[in-house]
Amino acid sequence: MAGIAEASWEGRVGVDADVARLRKGDPEALGALLERYQNRLYRYLLRLVREPATAEDLFQQTWLRVAEQVKKYDPRRNFDAWLFTVARNLAIDHLRRYRPESLDEPLPSGESREEQIPSVAETALERVILQERAARLTDAMGSLPAVYREVLTLRFEEEMKLEEIAVVLDAPLSTVKTRLRRSLEGLRRKLESQGPAEDWR
Amino acid sequence: MKDHKKPDHDTLRGWLSLAAAGALEPEEQAEVDRHLGACEECAAEFERWRVLASGLKRLPTPQPSAALVERVRASIVAATAAQAEKRWNQGVLIFLVLFSWTLTLAGWPIVRLATHGVSSWLEVGFTKAWMDLIGYTALGWLTAGVAAMVLTWQKRRERRLA
Repeated sequence: MAGIAEASWEGRVGVDADVARLRKGDPEALGALLERYQNRLYRYLLRLVREPATAEDLFQQTWLRVAEQVKKYDPRRNFDAWLFTVARNLAIDHLRRYRPESLDEPLPSGESREEQIPSVAETALERVILQERAARLTDAMGSLPAVYREVLTLRFEEEMKLEEIAVVLDAPLSTVKTRLRRSLEGLRRKLESQGPAEDWR
Repeated sequence: MKDHKKPDHDTLRGWLSLAAAGALEPEEQAEVDRHLGACEECAAEFERWRVLASGLKRLPTPQPSAALVERVRASIVAATAAQAEKRWNQGVLIFLVLFSWTLTLAGWPIVRLATHGVSSWLEVGFTKAWMDLIGYTALGWLTAGVAAMVLTWQKRRERRLA
């Protein structure tokens, strides 16, 4: 536990140092931040917009916006929350402008570039079962409205605290909790309507 | 969700999804934990939420392609260079404006002295003096403009060669 806390503290210090360098105009620092956050940011955007091409475009726009606006960033604030807020604002603009009608559209299957995170599975069969379950869960999640997909990814994939999610969403804590509860209920309803609970457990 | 009354079975059951998400207040979580030890139905329900939450935490992580990351890196470098150039151009412009005015105001008495002699200071015909000043200022600005154009041309050439 102490090791995790130490690693987290070191990570925090590393981010702060990179942000400080970036604010002084060092482009190398943005490269370091890009490396550190690339997977998390891309995953968040993909969960939000569901289309890899759009997520890639927004990913690029987010980093350019960060480079432009980093001087306005208050170093006392949490950089993660600020970065995800920048990405969120761009994603919302895109969703409003280009496809306001498709917010509830189901996720098209067969997304590319998905890689399995290290798994606890011992055998190939267990791995396949886990992958199938994950695919069902991802599909079910994709069928939820964007506001619910967002809160699920921030809580479970980004592992953000509720207070941090509230900052990113610019919403009160009570709203975050309500959205989280509704998103979980919606997700479970969706999974149960697709088949027996054993299939996704 | 904060309630001073002891929550009943239905209330606690409604909290189970948030409990699995680790989103309850400590006192609410304590109530849930106590209830789960006593209610098999809620314990089974909580297990379902817990499995769902665990599945969400273990979802595959989509990763950006290496090509995308490289493209972003290159665009950041280009944008940073463009910003730096913009700042430099603004600095040059400010310098040229200040330089032109300094040259105009500081050089004007010398020009008057050279072209009209000491008697010019006693001249009462302001019209000609103002015309001279305007012409002299225009000359200063023209020089500064030409200098700005040369600098811009040089920067563009450097950018093309880079």
